[in-house]
Amino acid sequence: MLTYIIRRLLIIVPMAIGISFLIFLALDLSPGDAVTRMLNPMQSVDPDRIEELRRALGLDAPMIVRYWIWLSNVLQGNFGRTLTGGVPITRTLLERLPATLELSAVALLLSSIFGAILGTISALKRGTATDNALTVAGMIGVSIPEFFFGLVAIVIFALNLQWLPVGGRLLPSYTSYWDHIPNLLMPALVLSIMMTAGVMRYARSAMLDALSREFIKTARSKGLPEWRVNLLHGFRVALTPVIVLIGFRLPMLIGGSVIIEQVFQWPGIGQWFVMAVRAKDLPVVMTVALLTVVLVLVVSLVIDILTAIIDPRVRLGGE
Amino acid sequence: MSDVALSVRNLKTFFYTNQRCNKAVNGVSFDIKKGKTLCVVGESGCGKSVTAAAIMQLLPRLSRIEEGSITYHSERGDIHIEKLERNGKPMRSIRGAEISMIFQDPMTALNPVFTIGFQIAENLRYHTKLRGHLLAAKVVDLLRTMGIPLPERRINEYPHQFSGGMRQRAMIAMAMACNPKILIADEPTTALDVTIQAQIFELMTVLKQEHGTAIMLITHDMGVVAELADDVAVMYMGNIVEAGTVEDVLRRPVHPYTRALLASMPVLGRGRGQNIEAIPGSTPDPFDRPKGCQFAPRCPYKIDACEQMPAETHTTPTHRVMCWRYEEFAANAT
Repeated sequence: MLTYIIRRLLIIVPMAIGISFLIFLALDLSPGDAVTRMLNPMQSVDPDRIEELRRALGLDAPMIVRYWIWLSNVLQGNFGRTLTGGVPITRTLLERLPATLELSAVALLLSSIFGAILGTISALKRGTATDNALTVAGMIGVSIPEFFFGLVAIVIFALNLQWLPVGGRLLPSYTSYWDHIPNLLMPALVLSIMMTAGVMRYARSAMLDALSREFIKTARSKGLPEWRVNLLHGFRVALTPVIVLIGFRLPMLIGGSVIIEQVFQWPGIGQWFVMAVRAKDLPVVMTVALLTVVLVLVVSLVIDILTAIIDPRVRLGGE
Repeated sequence: MSDVALSVRNLKTFFYTNQRCNKAVNGVSFDIKKGKTLCVVGESGCGKSVTAAAIMQLLPRLSRIEEGSITYHSERGDIHIEKLERNGKPMRSIRGAEISMIFQDPMTALNPVFTIGFQIAENLRYHTKLRGHLLAAKVVDLLRTMGIPLPERRINEYPHQFSGGMRQRAMIAMAMACNPKILIADEPTTALDVTIQAQIFELMTVLKQEHGTAIMLITHDMGVVAELADDVAVMYMGNIVEAGTVEDVLRRPVHPYTRALLASMPVLGRGRGQNIEAIPGSTPDPFDRPKGCQFAPRCPYKIDACEQMPAETHTTPTHRVMCWRYEEFAANAT
């Protein structure tokens, strides 16, 4: 199993490089470059001056060469500077990454727990009013976009009831870490709505599938109490597909937080990414894209290892 | 009465789907005797498995016992199983401890994510006071009795690491863990190789002789019946059409359906030219049953009286049949 993990980790490197090349290529093909952004559109500039600037920044080199320079810098841990402001990207990244991770982790945790519990209840009470109510709620949760939930939540809880702050994360008035829990609450809950609904629907069908198997009848025929039949024999088997689903939602939480971070003015990676795309701040876009790619690849490896741990039928590396 | 472990009287079990009612078991009566094997034979869908599920109170949601009684003659006195709550405590304390069951397909009947040892120990944990290393030792002992080599190592393995025959042995070990009085085996060898089948039956015979377990064996294989049964009940569309000792039913069959079943079996040694007679027609739709005798539409000896359901009649004290023309057939029994 260890050799399998090492082999998979080594495969991640060429895959990440390949994907980052494709992103670099796509950005290079889009109109405009760093210099056109740096110029003041209100002034006319001498074209020779622009060419000079391009040459000074190394933008006249072929795309492959520029990609190579970027890649060798990244591999040395140097992500460059933002074009808007000239701040080192690494510094901003380290400031913003904890905010996004905090939001995503809380949302993931909430949605996994609630989704699994509600889905199991729904399956055990199938065909009843409880099940129907949860099904309808699940459909609503999946189909309504999260920015809408976010805006509704702001109107109700922040503006009308004034229970929670409208947005932001760390205000200067905060002295301890716990002070910003009210700020975290609303974005985390809104972010977890859609995923809770998804996990719930999935857990319900996985649970129903497990409960319809023969071994459930065997468990009952042993005289076990119902809770043990359902939760130990049923839920334990339904858990494998649910874990896989939750794992693959992990990168989506970063994606989902792009919108939620905008709505709640949450100073995380997502908000930064949106600003960078608007400003055509290519070094930042490349950095965030690379980060997401690596995250997806690592997560899929972690899921494989997790499934092997919880499901004895899965053996990694073809032993 | 003391040699009877369980008696079923006029049991009716109906299924309800889409507001329609399937009378899956429509008034069956039989006894399971201590230390004996009762074979229940019949085509798919005749109600064999439903009868077994009713005894275990393991019927699916949309079905219930409508009428009749299932009396378990325990050491503590008679228990009316049909009156117990499905998953209530009294029923659960009988299930797995005094009446246990093995299923058709050991591939699906064992939980894939728990070790064999855990699944067998679970049974003992709920019905005995065994714990810790005594419990583990008992599980190893059970597997050894069932003829599984290296049981110490195999208790930590998962079902997918066992072969089909080994899995069925593990299932039997699970069922026999608490020394049940009654073992219900629902086609236990249908999913196995013929050579493995013989081993499993040998094992069941030994258990029957050593522990005096009463066995109810559900099968559709007349060869199995001839080899293992003490008593036989032939079911067709929810009724026991003929029942008796194995001698009665196999040597002197009375009911046309039993005769047709026996005639449809090839006999070894008679060569290729032998006449195997298939039963004409097919089983009726359970939601649209014929009136009266269920077998009448396929029966070559049908008369007008068959429009009414015949009563159960004893031709000898041990042999009973449901057929209007039983006297004629009993007279010309070969």
